[in-house]
Amino acid sequence: MKKLLFVILLLAAALVFAASVDAQVIVIANPGVKATEVTKNDLRDVFTGAATALPGGGSVVPVLLKAGTVHEEFLLVYIGKNDTAYRAGWRSLVFSGQASMPKSLDTDAAVVDFVAHNTGAIGYIGKATPHEGVKVLAVK
Amino acid sequence: MKRLLLGAMALALGASPAMAQSLEDLNIQIHGYATQGFLYTTQNNIFTTSSSSGSPAWSEAVVNLTSQPTPKLRIGVQARYFLLGNFGNTITLDWAAADYKANDKFGVRFGKVKIPSGLLNEIQDIDPSYMWSLLPQSIYPISSRNSMLAEYGGVVYGTFKLGEKLGKLEYRGWGGEVAIGPNDGYFLPFKEEGIVLPNGLNLVDSGAALHWKTPVSGLMLGLSFDATTKSSASLIDTYVVPAGPEQGVTITTPGTLVSTPVRETSLFGRYEKNRVMFAGEYTRIPTSAMLNGLSPYPERIDRRAWYGMASYKVSDKLTAGVYCSQLVDHQAALGPARYSKDWAISGRYDFNQFLYAKAEEHFIDGTVIGYDMDMNLPTAQLPTGLEPNTKLTILKIGVSF
Repeated sequence: MKKLLFVILLLAAALVFAASVDAQVIVIANPGVKATEVTKNDLRDVFTGAATALPGGGSVVPVLLKAGTVHEEFLLVYIGKNDTAYRAGWRSLVFSGQASMPKSLDTDAAVVDFVAHNTGAIGYIGKATPHEGVKVLAVK
Repeated sequence: MKRLLLGAMALALGASPAMAQSLEDLNIQIHGYATQGFLYTTQNNIFTTSSSSGSPAWSEAVVNLTSQPTPKLRIGVQARYFLLGNFGNTITLDWAAADYKANDKFGVRFGKVKIPSGLLNEIQDIDPSYMWSLLPQSIYPISSRNSMLAEYGGVVYGTFKLGEKLGKLEYRGWGGEVAIGPNDGYFLPFKEEGIVLPNGLNLVDSGAALHWKTPVSGLMLGLSFDATTKSSASLIDTYVVPAGPEQGVTITTPGTLVSTPVRETSLFGRYEKNRVMFAGEYTRIPTSAMLNGLSPYPERIDRRAWYGMASYKVSDKLTAGVYCSQLVDHQAALGPARYSKDWAISGRYDFNQFLYAKAEEHFIDGTVIGYDMDMNLPTAQLPTGLEPNTKLTILKIGVSF
């Protein structure tokens, strides 16, 4: 019985942890971006080059993290791809002359700084990263 | 026309720095990739290589430079070195274009631009962007792909939302001039008859495509239509007298190739969700050509081609897939030269963001695609020089940045 309770608690903890994984990444935008919330589909369109504007939010420019757990989590949760597949999609656009690769930055702090100082910029960072000077977009 | 457009592109690229903007402001990017392939066939020699002995004669290297001086304007150029057997071995201009995107509903690109027909035409030469070593040859033949890849002209494009319940509609419309070089694989059948087109062939081309991103997440359905006008080009027929008192004498006869209008319709779809991808395409190309000035040599083709493909992402680094590709020329005589049926099993492994390797096995039935006479000489036992079936093994390694 104790073992069963232990397993249930372990599963519950795992579920809580899994649920909290989504919350470890936040989407940030330049304060000039009108939108206050975005849908997953809108976010996917912007970050895959399919759209350059948010509904009611004007033009936006995505900025990426080069690597790391926050980057991988963002791609998995909001784009539905891993890094390899995601970059392959961008290479299709870049090498066929349809788009330029989004800017990739090394750290969360660099993303915050870029988003804060560039009109229309939209990016993602770890929740714990200080993010003064940018607005957080709720993802529906 | 070509020189004018290229000159305008060069001017635009050169003029941008003169605007006293820093490189950072111009958002200049340089990207590239290189691939090396190895081909082995159990029977015939394919793609003008000596593949039945194993051939590494398949190399590509691409460099592109883009600048985005303003959020709505991009300017770029891409050059390519391509070698496949006796094809290529030269550096060509892939595209060089200025792109102005007013908003998501309307953009325009002009210069030398990729033709966005079918499901994969725009990316058919971009090896890092897909898992296959060789795209389905029934619709994307590698030996003559340059003839359909790009044109000197323009493309308009955009996306309209159809509402939450109907998804989105992407449109593309294009027009311009396609320049097929004298050494393009498109002319291989003529070349083998001793007929060359010293200046190649220029075709006026136009078309449109619609991609419907349906409300079913990951499902896209599309159609495209491409038309070329009637065109002609000068040709030279060279004939060496094989026997008799004038044996070895070379006779050259000038003439004209007249190509009738080509109207190509494609229907396609793709479903991509999580780890799986399914895609398919059907296209029909009916056309004919006449060689004037020589003995009558009308050529008619009515090619109907399709493929269906599926892939599965086994892990973050490994993807595996299979496709079936078929082409039948309804104007050709009965026999293996009338069709091609190709089953392919493929795998791709990405070592990291930059380096990948591919392996692919093809089971090919029919000889209408990919073979030339010079590398498959007729024998007494094999008058056509070609066995009806062959297996093709491809190994490829690529790097991109």
